[in-house]
Amino acid sequence: MAGYGGYGGGDGGGFMSGSQQGGSQAGGSKYADESLRPVTIKQLLDWEETFPGAELAIDGHPVTQVTIVGQVRSVKPQPTNITYRIDDGTGAIDVKKWVDSEAQGGEDGGSGAGAIAPDAFVRVWGRLKILGGKKHISANFIRQIEDFNEVNYHLLEATYVHLFFTKGAPGSGGAKQEGGGGDNMFVDQGYGAGGGDVAMGGAGPGGGNSAMQARLATCSRNAQIMCNFINNSPGGTEGVNLHVIAQGTRMSVRDITNAADELLGQGIIYTTQDDETWAILDY
Amino acid sequence: MDNKSSTPRITCAYLSQYVGKLVTVVGKVVQLRGEEATIDADGTIHAFLNREAHLSANNGVQLIGKVNPDLSIKVLSSVDLGQGVDYNLANAVVEVTHRYKPLFVYEN
Repeated sequence: MAGYGGYGGGDGGGFMSGSQQGGSQAGGSKYADESLRPVTIKQLLDWEETFPGAELAIDGHPVTQVTIVGQVRSVKPQPTNITYRIDDGTGAIDVKKWVDSEAQGGEDGGSGAGAIAPDAFVRVWGRLKILGGKKHISANFIRQIEDFNEVNYHLLEATYVHLFFTKGAPGSGGAKQEGGGGDNMFVDQGYGAGGGDVAMGGAGPGGGNSAMQARLATCSRNAQIMCNFINNSPGGTEGVNLHVIAQGTRMSVRDITNAADELLGQGIIYTTQDDETWAILDY
Repeated sequence: MDNKSSTPRITCAYLSQYVGKLVTVVGKVVQLRGEEATIDADGTIHAFLNREAHLSANNGVQLIGKVNPDLSIKVLSSVDLGQGVDYNLANAVVEVTHRYKPLFVYEN
């Protein structure tokens, strides 16, 4: 995908260097790059194999194993495997669970099918495989879900991991004291939004700040850092100049310009004396 | 043969945006009258059930069906979820799936 090319294919061990920023230090060790990521089926279907045999990457990060949660639409017992069609509301994909011929036939024969019936909710662990241009998951494990809330939990977890990779860890790095707020934002939206459109920034006069925070939560990390920096600067309505921000946040001018565009688009900041000086738009 | 279609998760408030489309609703069964059911999913939704539906009042339910022009739902599939469904969680998931559509919904 977009981020994929950026990692370059030249490093040793046949693994992408990008995976190492995930905190592993072992160069070229496949074992250290193993990961298990919660995903929606749509994320898997959306991924395009850039070249045959390409490693699965989502949000620019390589993924080895995935876990999905969905509903069984059909069960097809076959000689070597049982093929389940799993639908999680975002898409549908085939999941193949290989039949272990060593095990006694009674337990996993096509007849028993592990007692997983159509319409049951299941959790699947496995790897994405492509065969003849068609994607399926080769499952290590399938189990039936007892508590329906796990389905919703999984969707939130998949979203969380997506946001982690695209916007950074909550409250990490130099996000100053507001960083912690960023963490809460996600939860707040998740749970608070049930009542209305917190997420849409119900910008009532009283709730200006929280509405701003909610919108800020959707911005990139750079934009959040920049906004927090301006917020903590004494500039007031005069605004804070590009170069002051660059010095204070150690961001490049280009990053700041991009972040500023984002924040301007969100209506979080406005330009003051010139195009390179911004202040927080306060309600 | 990849099945690139979704059944978006919605609550009552989103019904009008999905007329004629397939949707997923998680809610609580308020009332059952023959093949008609009243579901609470952050608001009241009327649902017309199919023959196979086996619902119980006060239990949670997941419906998949088509939104009629009058904002009722013609149910194609339903699953009884029993007690213990966290409806706040379900409603929060609806909000999240609309906020981050690329993860959840094929647009068209």
